[in-house]
Amino acid sequence: MSTTAEPTPDKYSLGQSMKRKEDPRFIRGAGNFLDDIVLPGMLWLSIVHSPYPHARLVKIDKTAALAVPGVVAVLTGEDLAAHNLAWIPTFHGYDKQMILAVGKVLFQYQEVAGVIATSREIAQDAAELVDVEYEPLDPVVNPFQSREDKIILRDDRENKTNHIYHWEVGKRDATDAAIAASDVSIKERVVFQRCHPAPLEPCGIVADMDAATGRLTLYLTSQAPHAHRTVVSLVTGIPEDKIHVISPDLGGGFGNKVPVYPGYVVAAAASVVIGVPVKWIETRTENLTTTGFARDYHMDVEIGATKDGKVTALKVTTVADHGAFDAAADPTKYPAGLFGIVTGSYDFANAFTELDAYFTNKAPGGVAYRCSFRVTEASFAIERGMEILARKLNMDPAELRLKNFVKKEQFPYPSPLGFVYDSGDYHLTLRKALDMIGYDELRKEQAEKRKRGELMGIGISTFTEAVGAGPSKHFDIMGIKMFDSAEIRVHPTGSAILRAGTKSQGQGHETTWAQIAADELGLDPQNIMVEEGDTDTAPYGLGTYASRSTPVAGGAIAMAARKIREKARKIAAHLLEASVDDIEWENHAFHAKGLPGKAITMQEIAFAAYTNPAPDSEPGLEATFYYDPPNLTFPYGAYIAVVDVDPETGFVKVRRFLAIDDCGTVINPMIVEGQIHGGLTEGFAIAFMQEIAFDESGNNLNTNFTEYLVPTSLETPHWETSSTCTPSPHHPIGAKGVGESPNVGSPAAFVNAVMDALAPLGVTHIDMPLTREKVWRACREASTA
Amino acid sequence: MNLQYSGHEEIPAGREVVWAFINEPRNVAGCMPDVLESTVVDAHTFDAVVQVAVGPVRGKFKFHVVLDPQSGGDRMNMKISGGGLGSVVDLTAGSDIAAAPGGGTTLDWKATATMRGPVAAIGGRVIDAQAKRIITTTFENVKTRLTASPPPVAAG
Repeated sequence: MSTTAEPTPDKYSLGQSMKRKEDPRFIRGAGNFLDDIVLPGMLWLSIVHSPYPHARLVKIDKTAALAVPGVVAVLTGEDLAAHNLAWIPTFHGYDKQMILAVGKVLFQYQEVAGVIATSREIAQDAAELVDVEYEPLDPVVNPFQSREDKIILRDDRENKTNHIYHWEVGKRDATDAAIAASDVSIKERVVFQRCHPAPLEPCGIVADMDAATGRLTLYLTSQAPHAHRTVVSLVTGIPEDKIHVISPDLGGGFGNKVPVYPGYVVAAAASVVIGVPVKWIETRTENLTTTGFARDYHMDVEIGATKDGKVTALKVTTVADHGAFDAAADPTKYPAGLFGIVTGSYDFANAFTELDAYFTNKAPGGVAYRCSFRVTEASFAIERGMEILARKLNMDPAELRLKNFVKKEQFPYPSPLGFVYDSGDYHLTLRKALDMIGYDELRKEQAEKRKRGELMGIGISTFTEAVGAGPSKHFDIMGIKMFDSAEIRVHPTGSAILRAGTKSQGQGHETTWAQIAADELGLDPQNIMVEEGDTDTAPYGLGTYASRSTPVAGGAIAMAARKIREKARKIAAHLLEASVDDIEWENHAFHAKGLPGKAITMQEIAFAAYTNPAPDSEPGLEATFYYDPPNLTFPYGAYIAVVDVDPETGFVKVRRFLAIDDCGTVINPMIVEGQIHGGLTEGFAIAFMQEIAFDESGNNLNTNFTEYLVPTSLETPHWETSSTCTPSPHHPIGAKGVGESPNVGSPAAFVNAVMDALAPLGVTHIDMPLTREKVWRACREASTA
Repeated sequence: MNLQYSGHEEIPAGREVVWAFINEPRNVAGCMPDVLESTVVDAHTFDAVVQVAVGPVRGKFKFHVVLDPQSGGDRMNMKISGGGLGSVVDLTAGSDIAAAPGGGTTLDWKATATMRGPVAAIGGRVIDAQAKRIITTTFENVKTRLTASPPPVAAG
């Protein structure tokens, strides 16, 4: 059963827009990022990349590079092979990936050699002198070509096919039958293009092998420091206690800093062999061309419905382009991530989805770019499908959605593809959005404009996410269960240190984690120091990605604080000379039953924990909690975009955009709003600008920020935001997570709006990005048809 | 990225003079713009270091150039391969050479360029503009050299 509640803030409570504790150092330029780390005697790594997307390696001549003064070493795949490091397993363990090419290169810009030198400039110059002879091979640049198996890309695999895996869920026969029997059905191929998280800070490492202690310290741009430590240990055989991963301040991640990249391995190997620190920082081109891309799903969406608009069945058939290696960062049991959320916010009686993944001569990846694993692709598919269905039914798209939403009394809702949605009130949220944006008036305005031949569109997206991976019975990465952790230590004077297994990349954990603990403990959040990213001190956790921090680590923080509170209750009983059973926690303080006027604060209890502990308990006041969530959480939202399209230029003006998000309990509204602004801006970029495209020869055409566009404030629309609140019933504080919702939900709203604008021209679908050229061509072709 | 170019040029010099001129690697290297240094390898081959500035791709490219004169003296083929800064460029060109009315020589030429790496990510229009400049400059230099006095280095 869902409830709708508004937070009631007090001094320590959640729901207050506390200013971000981390910002003073960031806005003063005093952050400590990877590139700020300079160690004595440090060498630099520069990587040689292949210009060919598919070629045999004939010869690598290091001679000229080694002759450059300052060059210490040139490493190739053969050198790494001698240490069993030419290949490493990919994250979910079903495939392996090359570190430096051996035998063949499989994508353009693949790493071929590494040059170690005394300065960054010398390393880069010498990399130009590494003479690599290639024998070019025909490339395979799209998954439909790949599935023909005319050119087999991976010689190293036993199965001589480009097909990686087939995955399916749901009832195929029942779904097919329901679609065949439906009054109305639609089928459309929608492509979620290959795009890239493109964090402003690229990836990097400083590897520091201390020969005296035998300890390897890795300063790493890592969203998952503990997972990376474990991977390094498994791959190298170095005991985990001899590996120290430190993830410093991160300038964005968005999933891009989850995988293990060749630069990391080469730098670490070089440091181990040479015995001095080795640093590698990507260039922008290296980041865009070699590190984890996102999406690249080609989805055939079919929906059946009755003639009055009740959906009866959904089928989505996907061809996925995974690039050269199956390095998609997905949990072990979910090769296609959580794509099963594709039924979205709608109550389908029948549903089936299947996916086939293929190798191509493109960079590997498939990271969860600001979304839970593959949830963005799924949301885009269903929200485009519903829009196309509405048009075929000649039905208002808002009305179609309201008619088919899962009802609030159906929660917890078992979806036909295997999830159990925790809570929601989809009707309330969409109706709020329609009221706030003045939907009826906008439709009237649109009708008037259409009479004048003007193209105005209104696009709706009412998405549901599945986030917070995840419950250990279902979710693991390389066998490691996807719990997360928190450790809180309250100092004698009532301040505290909180350490978590997560790693902020800009989300504001130093603030929001402190706020959760403050609310649970009645301590000042300003005096709770949050520390993440150091594997020597933080408890083991799987890190920050896929909207899992608040649903998982947030739960761990609340539960660790509650353990402290239980111990504090005993101390309170001792101090108040009352029975523990008679001690009540109210208004962030303890008092004996019936004596609320004689309250004792957590600060007083903390002092007593070190100076006057209860007779039957240990001194001190600290706790650690490993939180294994019982279920995922299911944030959702209703987004509406309003656009005007100029058919003469193809320019789309996003006149308004309203985002109503429901992420359950809100910890800090200001940070939530900031997250939504950022995610909407990324969604806007994906919808209108961004694609990692390849020509027929396998050339990557978007290798820098002049070709892969990032919107500035000049292009970015004004965002209107609001919220509803249906707390998660199973999460300790009712929170669901929000950081990725706007990226998940907004692309469909933008595209639906543009397609709505172009409806009078008969245009049904254009694949993203909706560049001016594509929109102009669609208008032109429609007008000449 | 594959790009194709073709054109028709008239040189105000006799066919034999033109033929002799373009059979000499030093002459060809001397007419290409932005060549920083060239080394003749043999009678039909030379290496060149060229200053490249195409969009963000700026630096030195190294090219290996092979002239392939066809018997009969009426066609010259040429292969250029090389690159730099992570890019690879392969160019295959061929030109029919004929005497023109009035004593000049016509060159009907075609070229196909294959580009890989960062240079291939640069928009075709940017590359086209650069290609046009290189082609125009090269033929202008040929014309200038052949109409200048004393005569250029002869083949053989």
